[in-house]
Amino acid sequence: MATTTNTLLLESTDLLSDSLSVSAIATLTGAGNSTGLTLTGGLGRKKLTSGHAQYVLFDGDAYANGAHKIYLKNTSSTAAEYFTIEINSEQMGKLYAGDWCFFPWEANASTNDIKIDPSANDMVLEYMLLSE
Amino acid sequence: MATTTASLTITSSDLVGDALSLSASNTLHKAGTTTGLEQATGLTKTYLTAVTPIDLFGTILPSGSTGNVSTYEGKSHWIYISNKSEDETEYATITIGDKVIGRLYAGDFMWMPWDQATDALDGTTKHADIELAPSVATGMWFEHCMIHEGMKLPTSV
Repeated sequence: MATTTNTLLLESTDLLSDSLSVSAIATLTGAGNSTGLTLTGGLGRKKLTSGHAQYVLFDGDAYANGAHKIYLKNTSSTAAEYFTIEINSEQMGKLYAGDWCFFPWEANASTNDIKIDPSANDMVLEYMLLSE
Repeated sequence: MATTTASLTITSSDLVGDALSLSASNTLHKAGTTTGLEQATGLTKTYLTAVTPIDLFGTILPSGSTGNVSTYEGKSHWIYISNKSEDETEYATITIGDKVIGRLYAGDFMWMPWDQATDALDGTTKHADIELAPSVATGMWFEHCMIHEGMKLPTSV
């Protein structure tokens, strides 16, 4: 059993009148148990062109249902460049330059694919899947 | 302009043969700019006692002034949700526009962008909401907030 820990920190001294400092720490475990996640595709990077609309990053068919976690980061430094993220054809949001996200993924249906679409040529996405 | 940063670290000494130590940090900007986000819902703690799905961030709203495009579609919104349960079997199913994203088990958190795009299930005037459904009705705590570029509030009745 592996022990993988992830930590989120949200900070701002001027968003509100009071300083914002939210932290969350989680040990990544399997669905409904305390066994650490043991599988990962590793940390990867992929260069994409805009012609790759509807590029399937993670295929729902390829994974059993479980407490999978996904990390994505747009490595661009151009503020206007973004990746659109879709799950099961529903648009989640856009990752602009430097943005990252981390969310659970339930491969509960063959259609529950994670798809990405770059807004410009030659953008590089960093990604990692941690799975059961 | 406010400066808000979101940082993530993922570490493990035994997940793979090489130690994993991933760090990512970004400043939250308005869509396509380097101007910091200025609005937030505030950090909220919620206790739910039913398994009925709720709209945690619900903006299924009538269309804006330009066809079916929401006033805030395409804007930058960031969602934080944490399951504060300590029972490893308890989870929350998180969906967007009724499409399952995944389950947040006890202690898990998520941080995701949300641009209020038109709901694929409706495709006309509605925009994908973020729903949460607890796995048990015996009471579960959640923590959540949104830092954003703007959102439409319901008109008073």
